[in-house]
Amino acid sequence: MQEYKVFPIAKDQIVPLAERMRKQGHALVMIHGYLNKEGLLDVSWDYAVDPAIESYHIVGEMSLPSIGEVYDTAATWPERELNELFGVSFEGLDMSQRLFLPEDMLEEQGKGQIMVTPLSELVQNMAKTKEDE
Amino acid sequence: MSYIVPIGPYHPALEEPIHAKLYTEGEVIRDAEVYVGYNHRGIEKLATERNAIQTLVLVERVCGICSHSHAMTYAMCVEAINGTEVPKRGQYIRVITAELERLHSHFLWMGIACHIIGHDSMFMHIWDERELVMDLLERMTGNRVNYAMITIGGARRDIDDDLRRDLLAACDKLKAPLDRIVDIVLNDKTIAMRTKGVGVLKTEDALRMGAVGPHARASGVDVDVRRDAPYSSYDDFEFKVPVCQNGDVFDRVVVRALECYESISIIRQALENLPEGPINLGNKLVKIKEGVAVARHEAPRGQLSHMVVGNGTLNNHRVSVHVPSYKNTPTVPFMLRNNTVADAGLIIASIDPCFSCLDR
Repeated sequence: MQEYKVFPIAKDQIVPLAERMRKQGHALVMIHGYLNKEGLLDVSWDYAVDPAIESYHIVGEMSLPSIGEVYDTAATWPERELNELFGVSFEGLDMSQRLFLPEDMLEEQGKGQIMVTPLSELVQNMAKTKEDE
Repeated sequence: MSYIVPIGPYHPALEEPIHAKLYTEGEVIRDAEVYVGYNHRGIEKLATERNAIQTLVLVERVCGICSHSHAMTYAMCVEAINGTEVPKRGQYIRVITAELERLHSHFLWMGIACHIIGHDSMFMHIWDERELVMDLLERMTGNRVNYAMITIGGARRDIDDDLRRDLLAACDKLKAPLDRIVDIVLNDKTIAMRTKGVGVLKTEDALRMGAVGPHARASGVDVDVRRDAPYSSYDDFEFKVPVCQNGDVFDRVVVRALECYESISIIRQALENLPEGPINLGNKLVKIKEGVAVARHEAPRGQLSHMVVGNGTLNNHRVSVHVPSYKNTPTVPFMLRNNTVADAGLIIASIDPCFSCLDR
Protein backbone atom coordinates (compact mmCIF):
# COMPACT_ATOMS: atom_id res chain seq x y z
CA MET A 1 0.00 0.00 0.00
CA GLN A 2 1.39 3.39 -0.96
CA GLU A 3 2.13 5.73 1.93
CA TYR A 4 0.14 8.96 2.13
CA LYS A 5 1.37 11.54 4.64
CA VAL A 6 -0.79 14.54 5.49
CA PHE A 7 0.55 17.84 6.79
CA PRO A 8 -1.13 21.20 7.44
CA ILE A 9 0.34 24.19 5.63
CA ALA A 10 0.01 27.95 6.11
CA LYS A 11 -0.68 30.23 3.16
CA ASP A 12 2.74 31.89 3.27
CA GLN A 13 4.53 28.51 3.19
CA ILE A 14 2.93 27.27 -0.04
CA VAL A 15 5.36 28.85 -2.51
CA PRO A 16 8.56 28.23 -0.45
CA LEU A 17 7.50 24.57 -0.05
CA ALA A 18 6.93 24.25 -3.80
CA GLU A 19 10.36 25.77 -4.48
CA ARG A 20 12.00 23.37 -2.03
CA MET A 21 10.20 20.36 -3.53
CA ARG A 22 11.13 21.39 -7.08
CA LYS A 23 14.76 21.87 -6.06
CA GLN A 24 14.82 18.40 -4.51
CA GLY A 25 13.38 16.93 -7.73
CA HIS A 26 9.97 15.92 -6.38
CA ALA A 27 7.11 16.00 -8.88
CA LEU A 28 3.84 17.73 -8.11
CA VAL A 29 1.33 14.89 -8.35
CA MET A 30 -1.76 17.03 -8.12
CA ILE A 31 -3.52 19.92 -6.46
CA HIS A 32 -6.84 18.61 -5.13
CA GLY A 33 -9.80 20.37 -3.59
CA TYR A 34 -12.95 19.33 -1.76
CA LEU A 35 -15.55 20.77 0.54
CA ASN A 36 -15.21 19.31 4.02
CA LYS A 37 -18.10 18.47 6.38
CA GLU A 38 -18.36 22.10 7.47
CA GLY A 39 -18.58 23.22 3.86
CA LEU A 40 -15.10 24.74 3.92
CA LEU A 41 -12.76 24.25 1.00
CA ASP A 42 -9.81 21.93 1.71
CA VAL A 43 -7.04 22.38 -0.86
CA SER A 44 -4.09 19.99 -0.91
CA TRP A 45 -0.78 19.96 -2.76
CA ASP A 46 0.41 16.39 -3.28
CA TYR A 47 4.13 15.85 -3.91
CA ALA A 48 5.72 12.58 -4.96
CA VAL A 49 8.37 12.04 -2.31
CA ASP A 50 8.82 8.48 -3.51
CA PRO A 51 7.72 6.02 -2.42
CA ALA A 52 5.30 8.17 -0.37
CA ILE A 53 3.05 11.07 -1.22
CA GLU A 54 3.35 14.13 0.99
CA SER A 55 0.09 16.03 1.00
CA TYR A 56 -0.05 19.58 2.34
CA HIS A 57 -3.54 20.80 3.25
CA ILE A 58 -5.03 24.22 3.87
CA VAL A 59 -8.66 24.69 4.90
CA GLY A 60 -11.07 27.57 4.47
CA GLU A 61 -8.91 29.85 2.27
CA MET A 62 -10.54 31.13 -0.90
CA SER A 63 -7.51 33.09 -2.06
CA LEU A 64 -4.22 31.26 -2.41
CA PRO A 65 -0.83 31.89 -4.03
CA SER A 66 -0.17 30.25 -7.38
CA ILE A 67 2.86 27.96 -7.70
CA GLY A 68 2.75 28.24 -11.50
CA GLU A 69 6.13 29.98 -11.47
CA VAL A 70 7.65 26.88 -9.93
CA TYR A 71 5.78 23.96 -11.52
CA ASP A 72 4.51 25.60 -14.73
CA THR A 73 1.48 23.89 -16.27
CA ALA A 74 1.67 20.99 -13.80
CA ALA A 75 0.40 23.58 -11.31
CA THR A 76 -1.52 26.09 -13.41
CA TRP A 77 -3.91 23.55 -14.96
CA PRO A 78 -5.14 22.17 -11.61
CA GLU A 79 -5.25 25.72 -10.24
CA ARG A 80 -7.46 26.79 -13.16
CA GLU A 81 -9.66 23.75 -12.62
CA LEU A 82 -10.03 24.49 -8.91
CA ASN A 83 -10.92 28.06 -9.78
CA GLU A 84 -13.64 26.90 -12.15
CA LEU A 85 -15.03 24.20 -9.90
CA PHE A 86 -14.75 25.82 -6.47
CA GLY A 87 -14.31 29.53 -7.13
CA VAL A 88 -10.99 29.69 -5.27
CA SER A 89 -8.66 32.34 -6.69
CA PHE A 90 -4.94 31.89 -7.16
CA GLU A 91 -2.85 35.05 -6.98
CA GLY A 92 -0.85 35.55 -10.16
CA LEU A 93 -2.71 32.90 -12.15
CA ASP A 94 -3.67 33.80 -15.71
CA MET A 95 -7.40 33.11 -15.93
CA SER A 96 -7.96 34.75 -19.31
CA GLN A 97 -8.94 31.35 -20.77
CA ARG A 98 -11.36 28.73 -19.55
CA LEU A 99 -10.02 25.24 -18.94
CA PHE A 100 -13.00 22.88 -18.66
CA LEU A 101 -16.19 24.86 -18.32
CA PRO A 102 -17.15 26.85 -21.41
CA GLU A 103 -17.86 30.59 -21.29
CA ASP A 104 -21.62 30.02 -21.46
CA MET A 105 -21.51 27.97 -18.28
CA LEU A 106 -20.18 30.73 -16.06
CA GLU A 107 -23.22 30.41 -13.82
CA GLU A 108 -21.81 26.99 -12.84
CA GLN A 109 -18.60 28.61 -11.55
CA GLY A 110 -17.68 27.34 -8.11
CA LYS A 111 -20.32 24.62 -8.04
CA GLY A 112 -18.07 21.69 -8.93
CA GLN A 113 -18.88 19.88 -5.73
CA ILE A 114 -22.14 20.63 -3.96
CA MET A 115 -23.00 19.02 -0.67
CA VAL A 116 -25.38 16.19 -1.51
CA THR A 117 -28.72 16.21 0.27
CA PRO A 118 -29.50 12.78 1.76
CA LEU A 119 -32.46 11.10 0.00
CA SER A 120 -34.55 10.95 3.19
CA GLU A 121 -34.13 14.69 3.69
CA LEU A 122 -34.91 15.37 0.04
CA VAL A 123 -38.18 13.37 0.25
CA GLN A 124 -39.17 15.32 3.37
CA ASN A 125 -38.41 18.63 1.67
CA MET A 126 -40.44 17.67 -1.39
CA ALA A 127 -43.40 16.59 0.78
CA LYS A 128 -43.19 19.88 2.66
CA THR A 129 -43.12 21.86 -0.60
CA LYS A 130 -46.24 20.01 -1.80
CA GLU A 131 -48.02 20.73 1.47
CA ASP A 132 -47.18 24.44 1.22
CA GLU A 133 -48.56 24.54 -2.31
CA MET B 1 2.66 35.31 -44.25
CA SER B 2 1.15 34.58 -40.81
CA TYR B 3 -1.97 32.52 -40.35
CA ILE B 4 -3.92 31.04 -37.49
CA VAL B 5 -4.77 27.45 -38.38
CA PRO B 6 -7.46 25.81 -36.27
CA ILE B 7 -7.39 22.05 -35.72
CA GLY B 8 -10.36 20.34 -34.14
CA PRO B 9 -12.30 20.35 -31.89
CA TYR B 10 -12.18 16.83 -33.30
CA HIS B 11 -8.71 15.43 -33.71
CA PRO B 12 -8.26 14.17 -37.28
CA ALA B 13 -7.00 10.75 -36.21
CA LEU B 14 -8.05 10.12 -32.64
CA GLU B 15 -11.77 10.76 -32.93
CA GLU B 16 -11.58 12.59 -29.64
CA PRO B 17 -12.14 16.27 -29.05
CA ILE B 18 -9.30 18.72 -28.67
CA HIS B 19 -9.01 22.10 -30.27
CA ALA B 20 -5.61 23.46 -31.21
CA LYS B 21 -4.85 26.89 -32.57
CA LEU B 22 -1.65 27.00 -34.57
CA TYR B 23 0.04 30.34 -35.14
CA THR B 24 1.96 29.76 -38.34
CA GLU B 25 4.38 31.50 -40.64
CA GLY B 26 3.97 29.74 -43.95
CA GLU B 27 4.16 26.04 -43.18
CA VAL B 28 5.97 26.47 -39.87
CA ILE B 29 4.19 26.58 -36.51
CA ARG B 30 5.56 29.42 -34.42
CA ASP B 31 3.26 29.01 -31.43
CA ALA B 32 0.19 27.05 -30.45
CA GLU B 33 -2.59 26.86 -27.91
CA VAL B 34 -4.69 23.88 -26.92
CA TYR B 35 -8.24 23.93 -25.63
CA VAL B 36 -9.81 21.02 -23.77
CA GLY B 37 -13.04 20.39 -21.90
CA TYR B 38 -15.26 19.28 -24.78
CA ASN B 39 -15.86 15.94 -23.11
CA HIS B 40 -16.48 17.13 -19.54
CA ARG B 41 -19.11 14.73 -18.19
CA GLY B 42 -19.03 15.54 -14.49
CA ILE B 43 -17.82 12.05 -13.48
CA GLU B 44 -16.40 13.38 -10.21
CA LYS B 45 -19.72 14.97 -9.32
CA LEU B 46 -21.59 11.77 -10.18
CA ALA B 47 -19.22 9.80 -7.95
CA THR B 48 -20.31 11.77 -4.86
CA GLU B 49 -23.77 10.22 -5.22
CA ARG B 50 -22.61 6.62 -5.51
CA ASN B 51 -21.29 3.90 -3.23
CA ALA B 52 -17.92 2.23 -3.70
CA ILE B 53 -19.16 -0.62 -5.92
CA GLN B 54 -21.21 1.74 -8.09
CA THR B 55 -18.19 4.05 -8.32
CA LEU B 56 -16.02 1.20 -9.63
CA VAL B 57 -18.50 0.82 -12.48
CA LEU B 58 -18.56 4.58 -13.00
CA VAL B 59 -14.82 5.27 -13.01
CA GLU B 60 -14.23 2.40 -15.44
CA ARG B 61 -16.23 4.44 -17.88
CA VAL B 62 -13.96 7.49 -17.60
CA CYS B 63 -11.91 5.91 -20.37
CA GLY B 64 -12.37 3.04 -22.79
CA ILE B 65 -8.68 2.24 -23.04
CA CYS B 66 -7.43 2.36 -19.45
CA SER B 67 -10.66 1.44 -17.68
CA HIS B 68 -8.96 -1.12 -15.43
CA SER B 69 -6.45 1.51 -14.32
CA HIS B 70 -9.20 3.82 -13.09
CA ALA B 71 -11.02 1.08 -11.18
CA MET B 72 -7.77 -0.17 -9.67
CA THR B 73 -6.63 3.28 -8.54
CA TYR B 74 -10.03 4.11 -7.06
CA ALA B 75 -10.09 0.76 -5.21
CA MET B 76 -6.57 1.41 -3.87
CA CYS B 77 -7.82 4.71 -2.38
CA VAL B 78 -10.82 3.10 -0.64
CA GLU B 79 -8.64 0.24 0.59
CA ALA B 80 -6.12 2.75 1.98
CA ILE B 81 -8.85 4.67 3.83
CA ASN B 82 -10.40 1.49 5.24
CA GLY B 83 -7.06 -0.19 5.98
CA THR B 84 -7.95 -3.17 3.79
CA GLU B 85 -5.19 -5.57 2.80
CA VAL B 86 -5.81 -7.14 -0.61
CA PRO B 87 -5.02 -10.89 -0.80
CA LYS B 88 -1.80 -11.56 -2.69
CA ARG B 89 -3.52 -13.58 -5.45
CA GLY B 90 -5.94 -10.69 -5.99
CA GLN B 91 -3.00 -8.28 -6.30
CA TYR B 92 -1.33 -10.49 -8.91
CA ILE B 93 -4.52 -10.77 -10.95
CA ARG B 94 -4.83 -6.99 -10.86
CA VAL B 95 -1.26 -6.69 -12.15
CA ILE B 96 -1.84 -9.20 -14.97
CA THR B 97 -4.93 -7.29 -16.13
CA ALA B 98 -3.11 -3.96 -15.86
CA GLU B 99 -0.22 -5.20 -17.98
CA LEU B 100 -2.53 -6.71 -20.60
CA GLU B 101 -4.26 -3.34 -20.68
CA ARG B 102 -0.90 -1.63 -21.20
CA LEU B 103 -0.10 -4.01 -24.04
CA HIS B 104 -3.34 -3.37 -25.90
CA SER B 105 -3.06 0.38 -25.27
CA HIS B 106 0.48 0.54 -26.63
CA PHE B 107 -0.41 -1.63 -29.65
CA LEU B 108 -3.40 0.61 -30.30
CA TRP B 109 -1.30 3.76 -30.12
CA MET B 110 1.52 2.40 -32.28
CA GLY B 111 -1.07 1.42 -34.88
CA ILE B 112 -2.62 4.86 -34.85
CA ALA B 113 0.80 6.52 -35.10
CA CYS B 114 1.52 4.45 -38.21
CA HIS B 115 -1.89 5.36 -39.64
CA ILE B 116 -1.20 9.08 -39.14
CA ILE B 117 2.14 8.92 -40.92
CA GLY B 118 0.52 7.07 -43.80
CA HIS B 119 1.89 3.60 -43.11
CA ASP B 120 -1.51 1.92 -43.20
CA SER B 121 -0.27 -1.62 -43.79
CA MET B 122 1.69 -1.35 -40.54
CA PHE B 123 -1.38 0.09 -38.81
CA MET B 124 -3.43 -2.96 -39.83
CA HIS B 125 -0.61 -5.35 -38.94
CA ILE B 126 -0.26 -3.91 -35.41
CA TRP B 127 -4.02 -3.85 -34.81
CA ASP B 128 -4.23 -7.42 -36.00
CA GLU B 129 -1.68 -8.45 -33.36
CA ARG B 130 -3.56 -6.36 -30.79
CA GLU B 131 -6.54 -8.65 -31.29
CA LEU B 132 -4.57 -11.42 -29.61
CA VAL B 133 -4.32 -9.29 -26.47
CA MET B 134 -7.98 -8.30 -26.73
CA ASP B 135 -8.97 -11.96 -27.00
CA LEU B 136 -6.97 -12.73 -23.89
CA LEU B 137 -8.64 -9.89 -22.00
CA GLU B 138 -12.04 -11.10 -23.16
CA ARG B 139 -11.28 -14.66 -22.15
CA MET B 140 -9.97 -13.56 -18.76
CA THR B 141 -12.51 -10.93 -17.84
CA GLY B 142 -15.51 -11.57 -20.09
CA ASN B 143 -15.19 -8.12 -21.62
CA ARG B 144 -13.17 -6.36 -24.29
CA VAL B 145 -13.39 -2.84 -22.92
CA ASN B 146 -14.61 -2.38 -19.37
CA TYR B 147 -13.17 -5.44 -17.69
CA ALA B 148 -14.91 -5.23 -14.30
CA MET B 149 -12.04 -7.15 -12.72
CA ILE B 150 -11.76 -4.98 -9.65
CA THR B 151 -13.70 -5.08 -6.44
CA ILE B 152 -12.89 -3.36 -3.19
CA GLY B 153 -10.48 -5.79 -1.53
CA GLY B 154 -9.31 -7.75 -4.56
CA ALA B 155 -10.18 -9.06 -8.00
CA ARG B 156 -13.56 -10.34 -9.18
CA ARG B 157 -12.50 -13.26 -11.38
CA ASP B 158 -9.92 -15.93 -10.74
CA ILE B 159 -7.45 -17.41 -13.21
CA ASP B 160 -7.86 -21.18 -13.37
CA ASP B 161 -5.15 -23.60 -14.50
CA ASP B 162 -6.41 -23.76 -18.10
CA LEU B 163 -6.47 -20.01 -18.47
CA ARG B 164 -3.11 -19.69 -16.79
CA ARG B 165 -1.59 -22.17 -19.25
CA ASP B 166 -3.17 -20.33 -22.19
CA LEU B 167 -1.97 -16.96 -20.95
CA LEU B 168 1.57 -18.27 -20.59
CA ALA B 169 1.39 -19.71 -24.11
CA ALA B 170 0.12 -16.36 -25.37
CA CYS B 171 3.14 -14.61 -23.80
CA ASP B 172 5.33 -16.77 -26.06
CA LYS B 173 3.07 -16.23 -29.04
CA LEU B 174 3.17 -12.44 -28.62
CA LYS B 175 6.93 -12.21 -28.70
CA ALA B 176 7.41 -13.02 -32.40
CA PRO B 177 4.91 -10.42 -33.73
CA LEU B 178 6.31 -7.88 -31.29
CA ASP B 179 9.83 -8.58 -32.57
CA ARG B 180 8.57 -8.00 -36.12
CA ILE B 181 6.82 -4.76 -35.14
CA VAL B 182 9.87 -3.44 -33.27
CA ASP B 183 12.12 -4.38 -36.17
CA ILE B 184 9.95 -2.45 -38.63
CA VAL B 185 9.51 0.50 -36.28
CA LEU B 186 13.24 0.80 -35.70
CA ASN B 187 14.37 0.25 -39.28
CA ASP B 188 11.62 1.48 -41.59
CA LYS B 189 12.68 4.57 -43.53
CA THR B 190 9.17 6.04 -43.77
CA ILE B 191 8.63 5.86 -40.03
CA ALA B 192 12.06 7.35 -39.32
CA MET B 193 11.56 10.23 -41.78
CA ARG B 194 8.20 11.18 -40.32
CA THR B 195 9.12 10.81 -36.64
CA LYS B 196 12.82 11.50 -36.04
CA GLY B 197 13.45 15.04 -34.81
CA VAL B 198 9.71 15.79 -34.91
CA GLY B 199 7.83 17.21 -31.91
CA VAL B 200 10.83 17.33 -29.60
CA LEU B 201 10.29 17.80 -25.87
CA LYS B 202 13.57 18.38 -24.07
CA THR B 203 14.28 16.78 -20.70
CA GLU B 204 14.23 20.08 -18.82
CA ASP B 205 10.85 21.04 -20.35
CA ALA B 206 9.40 17.61 -19.53
CA LEU B 207 10.58 17.96 -15.94
CA ARG B 208 9.34 21.53 -15.60
CA MET B 209 5.87 20.72 -16.91
CA GLY B 210 5.64 17.47 -14.99
CA ALA B 211 5.25 15.18 -18.01
CA VAL B 212 4.57 11.58 -17.05
CA GLY B 213 4.63 8.07 -18.44
CA PRO B 214 6.17 6.95 -21.75
CA HIS B 215 5.97 10.56 -22.95
CA ALA B 216 8.33 11.69 -20.15
CA ARG B 217 10.53 8.60 -20.48
CA ALA B 218 11.04 9.34 -24.18
CA SER B 219 12.43 12.71 -23.07
CA GLY B 220 14.94 11.19 -20.67
CA VAL B 221 12.88 11.50 -17.48
CA ASP B 222 13.31 8.22 -15.61
CA VAL B 223 9.96 7.89 -13.81
CA ASP B 224 7.66 4.93 -13.35
CA VAL B 225 5.27 4.62 -10.40
CA ARG B 226 5.46 0.82 -10.54
CA ARG B 227 9.14 1.01 -9.61
CA ASP B 228 9.29 4.32 -7.66
CA ALA B 229 6.27 3.76 -5.39
CA PRO B 230 5.44 0.06 -5.71
CA TYR B 231 1.89 -1.11 -5.11
CA SER B 232 -0.14 -4.25 -5.74
CA SER B 233 2.99 -6.44 -5.44
CA TYR B 234 4.84 -4.73 -8.33
CA ASP B 235 7.97 -4.98 -6.18
CA ASP B 236 7.77 -8.79 -6.59
CA PHE B 237 8.58 -8.51 -10.29
CA GLU B 238 11.75 -7.69 -12.13
CA PHE B 239 11.35 -5.30 -15.02
CA LYS B 240 13.24 -2.54 -16.77
CA VAL B 241 12.01 0.99 -17.36
CA PRO B 242 12.96 1.93 -20.94
CA VAL B 243 14.18 5.53 -21.21
CA CYS B 244 15.23 7.39 -24.37
CA GLN B 245 16.97 10.73 -24.65
CA ASN B 246 15.91 12.53 -27.84
CA GLY B 247 12.33 13.36 -26.83
CA ASP B 248 10.99 13.13 -30.38
CA VAL B 249 8.05 11.16 -31.77
CA PHE B 250 10.40 8.35 -32.79
CA ASP B 251 11.58 7.88 -29.20
CA ARG B 252 7.96 7.83 -28.02
CA VAL B 253 7.35 4.92 -30.37
CA VAL B 254 10.52 3.15 -29.22
CA VAL B 255 9.75 3.55 -25.50
CA ARG B 256 6.25 2.15 -25.93
CA ALA B 257 7.46 -0.73 -28.08
CA LEU B 258 10.11 -1.68 -25.50
CA GLU B 259 7.60 -1.39 -22.68
CA CYS B 260 5.54 -4.11 -24.35
CA TYR B 261 8.40 -6.58 -23.73
CA GLU B 262 8.49 -5.58 -20.06
CA SER B 263 4.71 -6.02 -19.74
CA ILE B 264 4.94 -9.52 -21.21
CA SER B 265 7.75 -10.29 -18.77
CA ILE B 266 5.69 -9.04 -15.79
CA ILE B 267 2.65 -11.07 -16.91
CA ARG B 268 4.82 -14.17 -17.23
CA GLN B 269 6.38 -13.67 -13.77
CA ALA B 270 2.96 -13.10 -12.22
CA LEU B 271 1.50 -16.21 -13.84
CA GLU B 272 4.45 -18.42 -12.98
CA ASN B 273 4.38 -17.31 -9.34
CA LEU B 274 0.64 -16.86 -8.91
CA PRO B 275 0.06 -17.33 -5.17
CA GLU B 276 -2.58 -19.66 -3.82
CA GLY B 277 -5.41 -18.28 -1.74
CA PRO B 278 -8.47 -16.08 -2.06
CA ILE B 279 -8.73 -13.41 -4.75
CA ASN B 280 -10.81 -10.98 -2.71
CA LEU B 281 -12.40 -10.40 0.66
CA GLY B 282 -15.94 -11.08 -0.52
CA ASN B 283 -18.20 -8.99 -2.70
CA LYS B 284 -19.74 -7.05 0.14
CA LEU B 285 -20.64 -3.39 0.03
CA VAL B 286 -18.29 -1.49 2.30
CA LYS B 287 -18.70 1.81 4.06
CA ILE B 288 -15.93 4.26 3.25
CA LYS B 289 -14.46 5.36 6.58
CA GLU B 290 -13.85 9.01 7.35
CA GLY B 291 -10.55 9.99 5.81
CA VAL B 292 -8.62 10.98 2.72
CA ALA B 293 -6.34 8.91 0.50
CA VAL B 294 -4.48 9.44 -2.73
CA ALA B 295 -3.32 6.48 -4.80
CA ARG B 296 -1.10 6.40 -7.87
CA HIS B 297 -0.90 3.84 -10.62
CA GLU B 298 1.27 3.69 -13.72
CA ALA B 299 -1.47 3.56 -16.34
CA PRO B 300 -0.49 2.89 -19.98
CA ARG B 301 -0.15 6.64 -20.59
CA GLY B 302 1.59 7.44 -17.30
CA GLN B 303 0.88 8.27 -13.71
CA LEU B 304 -2.82 8.17 -12.86
CA SER B 305 -3.90 9.48 -9.47
CA HIS B 306 -7.22 9.36 -7.66
CA MET B 307 -8.13 11.11 -4.44
CA VAL B 308 -11.05 9.78 -2.41
CA VAL B 309 -12.57 11.46 0.64
CA GLY B 310 -14.73 9.22 2.79
CA ASN B 311 -17.28 10.41 5.33
CA GLY B 312 -18.18 7.18 7.11
CA THR B 313 -21.14 6.40 4.84
CA LEU B 314 -21.55 4.11 1.85
CA ASN B 315 -21.10 7.01 -0.58
CA ASN B 316 -17.96 8.93 -1.49
CA HIS B 317 -17.72 12.42 -0.15
CA ARG B 318 -15.42 13.39 -2.99
CA VAL B 319 -13.57 11.62 -5.79
CA SER B 320 -10.93 13.49 -7.72
CA VAL B 321 -9.45 11.89 -10.82
CA HIS B 322 -6.22 13.09 -12.39
CA VAL B 323 -4.95 11.40 -15.45
CA PRO B 324 -1.66 11.29 -17.38
CA SER B 325 -3.06 13.40 -20.23
CA TYR B 326 -3.67 16.17 -17.69
CA LYS B 327 0.11 16.49 -17.33
CA ASN B 328 1.06 15.67 -20.91
CA THR B 329 -1.40 17.78 -22.90
CA PRO B 330 0.07 21.15 -21.77
CA THR B 331 3.40 20.06 -23.29
CA VAL B 332 1.84 19.92 -26.77
CA PRO B 333 2.26 23.64 -27.63
CA PHE B 334 5.99 23.39 -26.82
CA MET B 335 6.36 20.33 -29.04
CA LEU B 336 4.51 21.95 -31.92
CA ARG B 337 6.77 24.99 -32.13
CA ASN B 338 9.01 25.13 -35.19
CA ASN B 339 7.43 22.02 -36.71
CA THR B 340 5.31 22.02 -39.84
CA VAL B 341 1.52 22.08 -39.96
CA ALA B 342 1.59 18.68 -41.66
CA ASP B 343 3.13 17.14 -38.53
CA ALA B 344 0.70 18.76 -36.06
CA GLY B 345 -1.74 15.83 -36.00
CA LEU B 346 1.08 13.36 -35.37
CA ILE B 347 2.67 15.51 -32.66
CA ILE B 348 -0.61 15.95 -30.78
CA ALA B 349 -1.27 12.23 -31.04
CA SER B 350 2.28 11.35 -29.99
CA ILE B 351 1.55 11.95 -26.30
CA ASP B 352 -1.10 9.20 -26.63
CA PRO B 353 -3.68 11.67 -25.36
CA CYS B 354 -6.98 10.62 -23.90
CA PHE B 355 -9.37 13.52 -23.80
CA SER B 356 -12.22 11.56 -22.30
CA CYS B 357 -9.84 10.83 -19.39
CA LEU B 358 -8.62 14.39 -19.25
CA ASP B 359 -12.06 16.00 -19.27
CA ARG B 360 -13.76 13.35 -17.12
